[in-house]
Amino acid sequence: MSCGHPIDAAILADYWLAALPSSEEESVEDHLFDCGECGARLAEVIALAEGVRALVREANLLMTLSDEFVKRSAARGLRIRQYAPPAGGSVQCTITVDDDMLIGRLAADLAGQRRVDLALCNQDGIEYARLADVPFGPGISEVLFQQPIQFAKGAPSQTMIARLIGRDESDAERLIGEYTFVHTRTIPGPAAF
Amino acid sequence: MYEMSLELSDADLVLRIGQGHDPDAESEVCRRMGPRIRLYGLRHLRDHAAAEDLMQQVLIVVLQALRAGRLRESEKLASFVLGTSRMSILEIRRGTQRREKLLEQFGPEALIPTSSWAPRLDHERLHGCVQGLKERERWVIVMSFYDEKTGADVARFLGVSEANVRVIRHRAIHLLRRCMGEGE
Repeated sequence: MSCGHPIDAAILADYWLAALPSSEEESVEDHLFDCGECGARLAEVIALAEGVRALVREANLLMTLSDEFVKRSAARGLRIRQYAPPAGGSVQCTITVDDDMLIGRLAADLAGQRRVDLALCNQDGIEYARLADVPFGPGISEVLFQQPIQFAKGAPSQTMIARLIGRDESDAERLIGEYTFVHTRTIPGPAAF
Repeated sequence: MYEMSLELSDADLVLRIGQGHDPDAESEVCRRMGPRIRLYGLRHLRDHAAAEDLMQQVLIVVLQALRAGRLRESEKLASFVLGTSRMSILEIRRGTQRREKLLEQFGPEALIPTSSWAPRLDHERLHGCVQGLKERERWVIVMSFYDEKTGADVARFLGVSEANVRVIRHRAIHLLRRCMGEGE
C-alpha cells in the first residue's frame, strides 16, 4: 500500500541524527511503526549515513578539514602525514604504505575574504580540481586539505600546486597564496597512473 | 504468506493470533513489524547487534501478548509495538551484560542479523556523489554523519545559523539521494 503522507528523506535524516524536536520525533516514530514504505526510506538514509562514515574513515575524499578533525584522527591512532609549505614556497613530500591520511596545511591571512576557493593545479599551473567556498571562521589563519590516500599512494613523482583564491565583495578573484608540493614516489613498484 | 501480507490488516492479524494457534499470522506480524523495530533500535542504540536483540525481545513480548488476547484494540498493533519497543530500550540499555554472556556462549556469529536490514550502497558511486557536493555541504554531511556533531555545534563551527545548517544538510541529502538514484 502506498503511503499517503510520506516523510521526506531529509526529515528522516534529522530523525536519525536526533535533530528533531521531541514532539516531532514522536510523531515520526508513530508513523514509522505504521508505514513500511517510510521505514524503507529511513533504511536508505541510514545506509547513506553509514556509507558517508565509511568514506570518511577511508580518508579517500579530496576535501578541506578542520584542525580539530585532524587532531581527533591522530588521537584515534591514525598515522597522519602532513606538509606545510610556506605561501609562495615549496615542500618536498612523499607518502608511505603505512600512512592513513595525507594533509596539506596552507597558512594564509583570510581576513576580509567573502569566499575562499582552493584550486589544485598541475606543475604547469593548469587547474584540475577546485574546492569552492571553503568554510572558514574568524581567526582562522590556515586551510587544511586532505589528499585522497589511495590516490596519493598510487601517484608517480610529480609536482602539485595548491592555490588559495579569495573573492571580495565585488566577486573579483584574487590569489591569496600559492603552495607547491613536490612529491617523490617512495613506495616500491610502479605508479597506478 | 505473500498473499496474507496483502490481504490481512494489522487488526486481522491480532484477531487471528488471539483466536488460537496461528503460526502463519505470527510469522506475518514478525515480517511486518521486525524491520520497523530494528530501525527504531538502530536509531536509539546505535548498534546493529543491540538493535537485533531489541527486535527479538519485542517480538517475543508482542506475540505473547497477542496470544493471551491482551491487546484489546486490535487496530492498534503498531502503537503497541512502538510502546513495547520504548520500554524494551530501557531494559536493553541495562542489559549489556546479557549480550556479553550470549557472545561468550555462542560466539559473535550467533548475533549477526539473519537478514539484510538495509539496501546495499554502491560505494564507488557514493564516493563520486559526496565528492560532487560543494565544500560547505560536504562539511555539514561529514560533521553530522561522521563526527555526530549537533546542528548547534556545526553552526558554531561554520559561523552560520542552526537553521542555515539544517537547510544545507537537507539540500545535501536530496543531492546525494538523487545522485545515488534513490527517491526518483
